[in-house]
Amino acid sequence: MASPAGDGNLYPIAILIDELKNEDVAVRLNSIKRVTTIARALGEERTRKELIPFLNDCGDDEDEVLLAMAEELGDFVQYVGGPAHGHEVLVPLETLATVEETVVRDRAVESLCKVVAELPEASVTDYFSPLIKRLSAGEWFTARVSACGLFAAAYAKAKVQVKSELRSTFEQLCHDETPMVRRAAAQNMGKFVESVETAYASSDLFPLFNRLVADDQDSVRLLAVEACGPFARQLSEDDIMQMLLPVVKRVAQDKSWRVRYNVADQLCQLVKALPVEVTRVELVPLFVSLLNDSEAEVRVAASGKVSQFSKKLESATIGKHIIPCMKELAQDSSQYVRASLASVVMEIAPLLGKQGTIEHLVPTFLTLLKDIYPEVRLNVISKLDQVNQVIGIDLLAQSLLPAIEELSEDKHWRVRLAIIQHIPLLAGQLGADFFQDKLGTQCLKWLEDQVASIREAATTTLMKIAQEFGPDWARDNLVPRVLDMVQSRHYLYRMTILTAIAQLAVVVSADVVHSTMLPAVIDCAKDRVPNVKFSVARQLERLVQESVIDRAAVTSVVKPCLQELCEDSDVDVRFFAGQALVAVEATLAG
Amino acid sequence: MAGLSDLDRWIEQLKRCEPLQESEVKVLCQHAQDLLVEEGNVQRVDSPVTICGDIHGQFYDLMELFKVGGDCPQTNYLFLGDFVDRGFYSVETFLLLLALKVRYPDRITLIRGNHESRQITQVYGFYDECLRKFGSVNVWRYCTDIFDYLSLAAVIDNKVFCVHGGLSPAINTLDQIRTIDRKQEVPHDGAMCDLLWSDPEEIDGWGLSPRGAGYLFGGDICSQFNQANKIDFIARAHQLVMDGYKCMFNNGLVTVWSAPNYCYRCGNVAAILELDESLTKSFKVFEAAPQEARGVQAKRPVPDYFL
Repeated sequence: MASPAGDGNLYPIAILIDELKNEDVAVRLNSIKRVTTIARALGEERTRKELIPFLNDCGDDEDEVLLAMAEELGDFVQYVGGPAHGHEVLVPLETLATVEETVVRDRAVESLCKVVAELPEASVTDYFSPLIKRLSAGEWFTARVSACGLFAAAYAKAKVQVKSELRSTFEQLCHDETPMVRRAAAQNMGKFVESVETAYASSDLFPLFNRLVADDQDSVRLLAVEACGPFARQLSEDDIMQMLLPVVKRVAQDKSWRVRYNVADQLCQLVKALPVEVTRVELVPLFVSLLNDSEAEVRVAASGKVSQFSKKLESATIGKHIIPCMKELAQDSSQYVRASLASVVMEIAPLLGKQGTIEHLVPTFLTLLKDIYPEVRLNVISKLDQVNQVIGIDLLAQSLLPAIEELSEDKHWRVRLAIIQHIPLLAGQLGADFFQDKLGTQCLKWLEDQVASIREAATTTLMKIAQEFGPDWARDNLVPRVLDMVQSRHYLYRMTILTAIAQLAVVVSADVVHSTMLPAVIDCAKDRVPNVKFSVARQLERLVQESVIDRAAVTSVVKPCLQELCEDSDVDVRFFAGQALVAVEATLAG
Repeated sequence: MAGLSDLDRWIEQLKRCEPLQESEVKVLCQHAQDLLVEEGNVQRVDSPVTICGDIHGQFYDLMELFKVGGDCPQTNYLFLGDFVDRGFYSVETFLLLLALKVRYPDRITLIRGNHESRQITQVYGFYDECLRKFGSVNVWRYCTDIFDYLSLAAVIDNKVFCVHGGLSPAINTLDQIRTIDRKQEVPHDGAMCDLLWSDPEEIDGWGLSPRGAGYLFGGDICSQFNQANKIDFIARAHQLVMDGYKCMFNNGLVTVWSAPNYCYRCGNVAAILELDESLTKSFKVFEAAPQEARGVQAKRPVPDYFL
């Protein structure tokens, strides 16, 4: 397919071109998706002279075909003769940027931005800038909407005079009477701000922004709000204080909640650009008002940003202003607010330090840990490691362990799973004795959990705990208790124990493996359930491959056992035993 | 012909919810046919085994089922039919179960539900899904041809009778089921139809089914059947039960339903029934897979036939 154009290749190309005109949409679509192949075969000149005009005439095809075409044309500069001829690609893309279907237009705009990045400055002046002007003056709003997306990309490549034209064209779009166009302008404001020079950001674009955030339509305002961050990065501190801050104060109290919903994220970006005193005096009150907003959606957005917003604040400010809000949010009537808070609450701990965390954060944390809604509890648990680092072992034991013990029997298995996965980490913090006392029994109980995923996770957790506390501890505390369970009444539990044995075998000493664990596994080869028997084969294979069994035992114990299983009446037992035997032979040979 | 490595690869692929190529489906179905033709109308199954009810193309909830019940082949499974229709992923769901069946014939048993039918799948989504995903109806044709080969019932250790719908006035003994010529489209009436369509009901004797196919049968009918065939209880699916399972007739019958939040909107939980080596029952209840465990496509608009 990738071979260069030669006479021999023209025939299939002719078919592809024919297919571009086929009656069946699926055929045309297929052909368009391979249009780069056609272009490569035709060569640069014929692509410019024949293919591009042809594609330009296809403008009234099905949206599906147009979408594919818009996408393909984004990478087309190389096929029309490189950047010097790149402007040729603009023609069909301009047509696509004016069609009715939004998806097609968006894709065309994306491709236009890709193309302009490759064009030389002269082509931007001669072709791209006029294209933006034509679209901006388009009679139908679709063209003008598309134009809005092109400014940032064009500006980066334009010479001074063209830049000034671009700024004034953008201004005109910000004043457009169609809300759809103003929305597009608002949406692209942020990108454009970041590509213009600081002086113009302040003198030309800010007034436009100021107008858009006060638009009649809330759909325009909520998009315009998203330019706060980019302006904060571009403007001088003075400008931020004089111009941007008043705007932010206004939008934080916008009458539409959809606008306020977008403000919390912008405040976090402002924090980065401003000195901490300004944040404390000016931004904290705004953020607190969002945390207390009457609309739950706004509280969800704001509470999820609590830690990000607080990052640069002193602990005293956090304690005084943010913490009281968090305490209230932990009891919020909306579960989504609580879940959102739960996912970030412990990220505050490093900011407060140990004492502050104990005083302020732990109560909130415990409240959320007991939430009736499982997602809230899950979100808290997934951040357990952060609390460990800050408050240390004693307090963890006192305040969190009871909650963790309760959650380890939570009726939602994903909550139990999250706890199990954090147990090795906790074990490290608690120390062997304390762990054994508080959580040891529970860990073994999980091996007989109702849910398969929990049982499996428990085997891995046991292995990690054994690694943490060392082979001797595992030999005394884990191995005997695990081996006791191998006689379980239920075949699924017996198989779990086999997995657990194999996991632990890697950690304990060879002596323990050979004297107790291997015999237990071999015994299970006599089980009456085939599933247990092929588990034996699989675990033996694993043990041999991980070299925890010495050659003598492999030859005298493992191999005969597998050979017997190879004669079993069950086909799966024979299969897995056979597979294990091959691995065993390979190990013995190597 | 496909080898074990092809099958293992297909199973991995289907577990990611990626359908097979049309040509691969054809090969898989040929294998399945060779295998299923050997199975009886009343397939014998050994304990221990986990019984599952309707799945209805809810692929990600089937993955949740395996997370709770354990993977195949470690856990033995018996699926009571209605793999397809209504959910978004009937193709992936059925092909995965079928691939597992071909790879591990002794570890998983599939029996026929009333939706495993050419007529029903043309109305309730499987046909449209095949057409959309493959651009032709060939895959639908291969799959519906396989439906004709699925067993009509199963019996575990000769003690538990398993069927999708329920009993039939034309059937008193398991041997009568064994004489049916099952390799055909589900008929509109008669024993084969009743097994796939009937429902238990708190009545005496037989009643007319509001479904327009099959019958309603009472506790007396159930206990007569169990006695005559030395059966402990009947396990069946076919009806949505909000708690995932429901025991009736003094534990002479149990309904198992394995599609949580049925049609993505019923709000029910699902269950599977684990029978251990001594046929001790334990129900595992589970909820729909959480959003993050589902593919992006889960947000596709609701198909017309929901409305």
